[in-house]
Amino acid sequence: MRDYLVKRGLSALGTLALAVVLNFFLFRIMPGDPTRTVVGDFRVAPEVRKVLIHQFGLDQPIWVQFLLYVQNLLVGNLGVSFQYRGTSVAAIIFGRRLFNTFILMGSSIAVALLIGIVIGTIAAWKRESKFDVFTVIFSLVTYSMPVFWLGMLIILVFGYYLNSIPIAGTITVGLTYSNVFEYAADYLHHMTGPFVTLTLSFIGYYFLIMRDSILDVFTEDYMLTAKAKGLSNRKILFRHAMRNATLPMVSLIAVEVTYLFGGATMTETVFSWYGIGRLVYEAVVMADYPVLQGIFVVMAVVVIAANFLADIAYALLDPRIRY
Amino acid sequence: MDLTSQEPVRLQIKEDRFWLYRRKLGDFWRLYRRSALGKLGLIIVSFFVVVAVAAPWIAPFDPFSFVGDPFLKPSSTYILGTDQVGRDILSRVIYGTRISLLIGLVASAMTIGLGTVIGLVSGYLGGWVDNALMRITDLFIIIPALPLMLIMASILGKGMTNIIIVITVVGWTATARMVRSQTLSLKERPFTEASRAIGSTDLHTIARHIVPNVFPLVFANGMIAIVDAILSEAGLSFLGFGDPSAPSWGMVLHFADNAGATVNGYWWYIVPPGICIMFLVMGFAFISYSTDQILNPRLRRR
Repeated sequence: MRDYLVKRGLSALGTLALAVVLNFFLFRIMPGDPTRTVVGDFRVAPEVRKVLIHQFGLDQPIWVQFLLYVQNLLVGNLGVSFQYRGTSVAAIIFGRRLFNTFILMGSSIAVALLIGIVIGTIAAWKRESKFDVFTVIFSLVTYSMPVFWLGMLIILVFGYYLNSIPIAGTITVGLTYSNVFEYAADYLHHMTGPFVTLTLSFIGYYFLIMRDSILDVFTEDYMLTAKAKGLSNRKILFRHAMRNATLPMVSLIAVEVTYLFGGATMTETVFSWYGIGRLVYEAVVMADYPVLQGIFVVMAVVVIAANFLADIAYALLDPRIRY
Repeated sequence: MDLTSQEPVRLQIKEDRFWLYRRKLGDFWRLYRRSALGKLGLIIVSFFVVVAVAAPWIAPFDPFSFVGDPFLKPSSTYILGTDQVGRDILSRVIYGTRISLLIGLVASAMTIGLGTVIGLVSGYLGGWVDNALMRITDLFIIIPALPLMLIMASILGKGMTNIIIVITVVGWTATARMVRSQTLSLKERPFTEASRAIGSTDLHTIARHIVPNVFPLVFANGMIAIVDAILSEAGLSFLGFGDPSAPSWGMVLHFADNAGATVNGYWWYIVPPGICIMFLVMGFAFISYSTDQILNPRLRRR
């Protein structure tokens, strides 16, 4: 187990190092003056620019720049934002935005996973029943929908026609709250739209995988044993089949974190949710390269860590896996 | 018999090969026809291809001309109403089929091409080349695709070509992985070894013995690559990276969003382009599913 941990850890660090290299060079393949992407923007004050040129060694050869970039990265210096006129990138990312994105992503992934596992199990149990056919079609439809369009439809139906959800933002602007619960209620109310959008767009995928996985488990000998022991259907299904079939889902969660960032970018943009995804879009529109570069690193760390944790969790949960 | 002339013999071999492929294709079609989903997918995709080709004859108006007042509701003249500058929405959706389909097909073809080449090289050469390439593949698989595409698009700039480049550069990994593992296994088979033993060059061995055996899986994978490419294009265009002179469905939705279609309840502006994306994606997904059932030996029903 320890060897396995070390091996996976080193591999994760290797991938991260590669991500940093890619991130550095990606922003330097642009035509023109390379300093343009780091400091050369009219929105950054000249004094700040001078400090940055020195900090990031922009008047020096490219390999010195790279070393300085890594050094700055290690102490958390991600440069300064263009659109926010010199605010540090780290402060922008690690403030409210990351929190908002994690709340949205975390709750959507948890709920989608739960629903996917349960209805996947039931659908597989009642294979080719009306419930099964309906849920399979439902997941195919949600899978085929572009996430942003799903979000637009939800705004149209629940925001415009039913007028029951706020259509943009994280909280009501200008509202003062008498206590923290009121704040939370307003926050959650605003989260309804993006939360439903993200959850719907992921249920289908989880559902299909879970259904397949259960159908696979049904062919195993221990299912026959369980039946022969005279266990109730409910026990066989939820104790034996579901537990074993959930195992592959663990590694899926990590993979999904990668996709969630994509989904969150779309959803947050459509609903103007004040998070990292929305920040990606804003930074792209405003050509705020330092912010983009910072987000790339943060995203890489998050997904690589998620995959590493999933590997460990998988090894812990499945005693058959020994490396 | 004149031994110096070998022409007839070679011709004979070529003909055999032709009939072999012909027969294989026939087998495939026979199995494919049995799949209801596969047929449905083919019908959906054919429908959109016909719409794309026949766009000038089907569309009631020119998609770029200002043919009426802005924001007209659906009527018998403007079936889906008009947009914020008075262009006919139905015509724009019909012409959008061309762009969405074209970018989807070209981008996925390039994705598959790049992935296949990298997978072949990686699997066949092995060693440090394989190691390095697979490390890069790992990275691209793990990094969120859409944000990376957005970042690259912001660096490269707007436009159709750049969208295709971005989708290709970000999307080749799945194919590369699959082709590599297939190549690794094919490399050890007797016929590849025999080919090497009689002194064939690597290129010849790859082209003659590995590529034909990898091809079916690449083809099945290609259908999913089209799905990914269509959805990616829609997303990038929706966020404003499309070419305004060649509007795709995603682009139409981008303009709808700009015009505040959701908060004003212009469902006729929002629903149709999205439905088109959804059905086109479903069509290719169905084809992919059925193709996979036939070409993937593990799934094939006997």
